[in-house]
Amino acid sequence: MKRIVTGFVLVILAVAVLLDIQPLSAADNDFLIYFENSTLTLKSQTLDRTVYLPLQEIVRHLGLASTDATGASTFTIQGQNSRLVLTPGSGFISYNDQPILLQNPIRRDGGQWLVPLDFLSQGLSRVAGVEFRYKPGTRRVFAGKVMTTELAMNAQSLGALTRLTLRAGSPIDVELQKETAQHRAVLVLKSRAIDPARERLDYKDALVQSVTFDDSDGMPRLLISMADDVRDVRLTSSDGNRVYFVDFVREIASEATPPTTPAPLAAAAPARPNANANAPAGAGVRVIVIDAGHGGIENGAANSGTLEKDLTLLLARRLRTTLQSRLSATIVLTRDSDIDLTSEARAGVANNNQASLFVSLHTGYSPDKTASGSSIYVMKPDFTGGLSEPAGGRMFLPWYMAFRTNAAASQALAENLQKNLNQALPGWKFPIRFGPMGVLASATMPAIALEVGNLNNDANAKMLAEPEFQAKLTATIAEAIEQFAGGGRKQ
Amino acid sequence: MSSRMPRHLKIGLIVLVAGFAITLGLFVDVIGRIQTMVHEKEPAGNPFTPPAVPLYERNDPPMNVKVFFPGMKDDVILSAEDQTIRRSGELANRARQILQKVLEGPKSAALYPSIPKDTKLQEVFIDDMGMAYVDFSSTISANHPGGMVNEQATVYSIVNSLTYNLPEIRQVKILVGGAEKETLAGHCLLLPLGMDLSITDIAPPKEQVNHAD
Repeated sequence: MKRIVTGFVLVILAVAVLLDIQPLSAADNDFLIYFENSTLTLKSQTLDRTVYLPLQEIVRHLGLASTDATGASTFTIQGQNSRLVLTPGSGFISYNDQPILLQNPIRRDGGQWLVPLDFLSQGLSRVAGVEFRYKPGTRRVFAGKVMTTELAMNAQSLGALTRLTLRAGSPIDVELQKETAQHRAVLVLKSRAIDPARERLDYKDALVQSVTFDDSDGMPRLLISMADDVRDVRLTSSDGNRVYFVDFVREIASEATPPTTPAPLAAAAPARPNANANAPAGAGVRVIVIDAGHGGIENGAANSGTLEKDLTLLLARRLRTTLQSRLSATIVLTRDSDIDLTSEARAGVANNNQASLFVSLHTGYSPDKTASGSSIYVMKPDFTGGLSEPAGGRMFLPWYMAFRTNAAASQALAENLQKNLNQALPGWKFPIRFGPMGVLASATMPAIALEVGNLNNDANAKMLAEPEFQAKLTATIAEAIEQFAGGGRKQ
Repeated sequence: MSSRMPRHLKIGLIVLVAGFAITLGLFVDVIGRIQTMVHEKEPAGNPFTPPAVPLYERNDPPMNVKVFFPGMKDDVILSAEDQTIRRSGELANRARQILQKVLEGPKSAALYPSIPKDTKLQEVFIDDMGMAYVDFSSTISANHPGGMVNEQATVYSIVNSLTYNLPEIRQVKILVGGAEKETLAGHCLLLPLGMDLSITDIAPPKEQVNHAD
């Protein structure tokens, strides 16, 4: 027994020692310095867990005068009115005879001088008059006035496809190179200096294995490794080439929506409030988000055991099924179980999925037992939430003002739904109302809330629970959405 | 008999009984907590509440006000009822009297109460910018029957009753149980709101223009 314990302890110690010993010098790696008009590719070395860059190459590229005094064992860089002196093995550098301490020492390897990264910002920037910006963990430095384009990316699974969304700080051109046979896709980003928020995306699903940013040869691009199931990759741009959607699809797109002419995007829908009239063939919506009102501890309105939260979930699921059979769009529910969400979170589901349409489902309650109060709600157009607007407009808007971008389209959607519901359900009235509704305030797409019936009215409550009525109601809503979407019908 | 019981069995039995008692105690406690959560009750009178200060003096003149209540007819969500309060010197006290009328409910049978009963007005504070902070007990939200129109009616019966009668109040921020809440009962945002007469059958008051929200 004692021997087993001793052996076990020894094994653990051995593993710990092995983990601790890392190679002091790693292989050379490409490192990039982006200057205003040029890019310098360097071979960096990792010594003692610190990245070192060859100094002479940088000094030469900057066109600075330097002296490598082998006898005195110093390296001197001459600026216009300044002088920087380096000594090997020391973290102290001398700038105009003032000492500056670096976190890591200067090294000299044969005839090559190696400087740690903080030398660029602490020392070199003073003599060269150029600022250096470096994000730890990356392999690139931006120098001086170089214009960088920030790049953020995220991915999400939308059922039959996985969507990678790229957001660039300024408009860029992107070229898609499909290498489906090698299960790879390359997105060439046609901008000189890209500053990605992350080097790789921590995302993996059945279609996308990995997304990595690579600019090691000075050509920024995204390398995407895909699963065998991916049959097609589609690239669509939006927002004046600031936003790109890359869809990885299980099946090859049908003839109606060839990948070269992708359907207009979410952002295009609001610009066309009357999309139902004269919509071009193939125009349509990509994602529709349906919100089942209330949930969890929020029961909503109730009538002897019939809870609003259950009815709305039932209706939302029915509507999803109906829409899926009619449209090629992806239908997302804000909740598919009995959970409570804040209004902001509900609108967030629509925003995060780049939805083109957002419909929130509710049942009503009126203190009048005989009323059958249904309504279609659009966000109150003059709602400011207490903010007074300056004359020149506001540069930053709070999220609850997002509805303003699509106010007209939301109303058009409401009118279309009203027309359809009034026709399909004679005797029912669906007035359009405006109110400060939380679920609609922060939606960045045409958004409405539909409130059906009055749960305080027993006849209404009974009817709402009938499957035939539910089927008719959801079919009518689906019809209105389809008309509004103007195409995109399933082949 | 018991003296012959082996010692380890005795200890085991004692531990078992003690464990059972602790579990039972916890169970009863949890059930009790859940019940208090489900049946939300107004806490009994706060012993530290300062003595009630009268909202008006005896010689304050009467003041006619319109108090808004739900009365649903097609596009009209709210209607108003004429009531009388005293024109007290302090603005907040006039606001308190109006809100008291809203809490009491309508006199006419054609209109409905807008606020769940047992709800209390906890505090009213009006700042220099004309923003009235109105704090109700949490029953206003927990016991609200729901419905989008109905909730809009509740919120605007408070907002309109204050802003219509007291032009000094430009916006109303409703607090629930002393804290901010996103929505009253899952629909209406409780951000500062201005008067909205478009949902009522009442014409704008003569002495003031309709404020934007």
